[in-house]
Amino acid sequence: MRKILLTMLVTSLLWADSAAARLQIFACEPEWGALASELGGELVSVFTATTAQQDPHHIQARPALIAQLRRADLAICTGAELEAGWLPMLQRRANNPRTAPGSLGFLEAAAQVELLERPQRLDRADGDVHASGNPHLHLDPRNIARVAAALSQRLIALDPGNADAYRRRGEDFQQRWQAAIATWEQRARPLQGMRIVVAHNDWVYLERWLGLQRIAALEPRPGIPPSSGHLATVLAKVQQEGATAVLYAAYQDRRPADWLAARSPVQPLRLPYTVGGSQRATDLFGLFDETIDLLLEALQ
Amino acid sequence: MSAPGLEWSILAPALAAGALVLSTHVPLGRQVLQRGIIFIDLAIAQFAALGVIVAALMGWDNSPLATQAAAASAALAGALTMTWTERRWPWIQEAIIGAAFVTAASLSLLLLAGNPQAGEHLQDILAGQILWISWPDLLPALLLYMPLLGLWFGFGERLGRIGFYLLFAAAVTVSVQLVGIYLVFASLILPALATRGLKSAYLVGAAGYASGLLASGGLDLPAGPAIVCALALCALLCALLLRPHADVTGDG
Repeated sequence: MRKILLTMLVTSLLWADSAAARLQIFACEPEWGALASELGGELVSVFTATTAQQDPHHIQARPALIAQLRRADLAICTGAELEAGWLPMLQRRANNPRTAPGSLGFLEAAAQVELLERPQRLDRADGDVHASGNPHLHLDPRNIARVAAALSQRLIALDPGNADAYRRRGEDFQQRWQAAIATWEQRARPLQGMRIVVAHNDWVYLERWLGLQRIAALEPRPGIPPSSGHLATVLAKVQQEGATAVLYAAYQDRRPADWLAARSPVQPLRLPYTVGGSQRATDLFGLFDETIDLLLEALQ
Repeated sequence: MSAPGLEWSILAPALAAGALVLSTHVPLGRQVLQRGIIFIDLAIAQFAALGVIVAALMGWDNSPLATQAAAASAALAGALTMTWTERRWPWIQEAIIGAAFVTAASLSLLLLAGNPQAGEHLQDILAGQILWISWPDLLPALLLYMPLLGLWFGFGERLGRIGFYLLFAAAVTVSVQLVGIYLVFASLILPALATRGLKSAYLVGAAGYASGLLASGGLDLPAGPAIVCALALCALLCALLLRPHADVTGDG
């Protein structure tokens, strides 16, 4: 027994040692974890706090979250209040000055791009209010490229010994990503003007990029059941203007989408939303491959 | 394989919070069980949340002190109403508490329909998360619970019905924000169900919190639900081991 314990101790120390040599990255959401792996490769070790099956607005506290943020050299999160329900508390408990907001080791994706639906243009009756804008920015791949550029710079600054490798990986990713965007835009041309309904307002960046036309949102305020008057308006709009699909994310309840599908010719469409949201969406490339495939399929 | 979650500095504040909550909830829970008002904590917590929502709608939510005052006043008002209904209709008190709970919860949702931001306050007040607690968060609870325990054990029966409901409302308003509604319910009811002795009830509670937190750290599970399940398991074990003995000695 003592021997086993000793072996476990030694292996865990060795494991910790080899892991410590790599840059420790804490990613709040799967899309940023995937991006960090693309840009850091073997040089980094990535911990992702949420999965594609979890609503990133609310997560349950686990001890490992605190432990991982405490040892992280870099934290990358969406920001724009998406994680307002848990990240501030987690940061306070982890008490890690390297990843404190404003430091080199804290990268806020929302600060790298222009956010849509900033409150001055947002009709309050139209949905959930995020004071700094809609945070679901990763669904436009051009935003991912911007965040990737910022992340590469941070990796170089934090681990200058490996600067060349990060630069090479960053350039390689940007090249592959721009080529992929061109392919996606080519294939997605028929989606231009496709009418959709959304369960929640998570898809504005995808809509803008592909030219989808949102005609309504089923549950404008997450967590608050919609009024029957609102549902009647949505239904009337769908029957009048027509819509192809009602989009919902892998982590969301499918019942609102089913409700609408039972009353109108619109089909429920479950999209992966982020990396890990479906079997094919194992990385960022797969995420957009599948999203566009599913939308094209729905259009036929 | 090492478990990074098993760090003392991560688990210690949660364990201390558990000890604080248990200190008041174990004796209160015995009364709750005796009076047959099991769901009183859900109703009181919901009243507190309602108070917070009203405060937010009035625009008082910028100051945490005003928010807490609103929560406490609504909880105390609810507690006083419960005292009155227990005197008036004692035989249907449990049903009234249940009805008060769903009405207050639905009223909150109706009020929130016009103000999405207040939803976060509702979430905050009902869903405390034990792992997010750091040492300074425990100070208000400690300051409130010390005199509360003094009153409870000093006056005992002489507190009467009103005294019990008021102490209960104050204790629960603080504890739901610290550890969340499920843990509050479990801390109240499970130790009291498991055993009739006060000391053994404290032991069941402590064993539940400690083993639940260890399981959460070692197996990377959400802490709150892990502790609730561990508490249920400890209560069950204790009941199976101790109850036959208690029956033989005719205790209670």
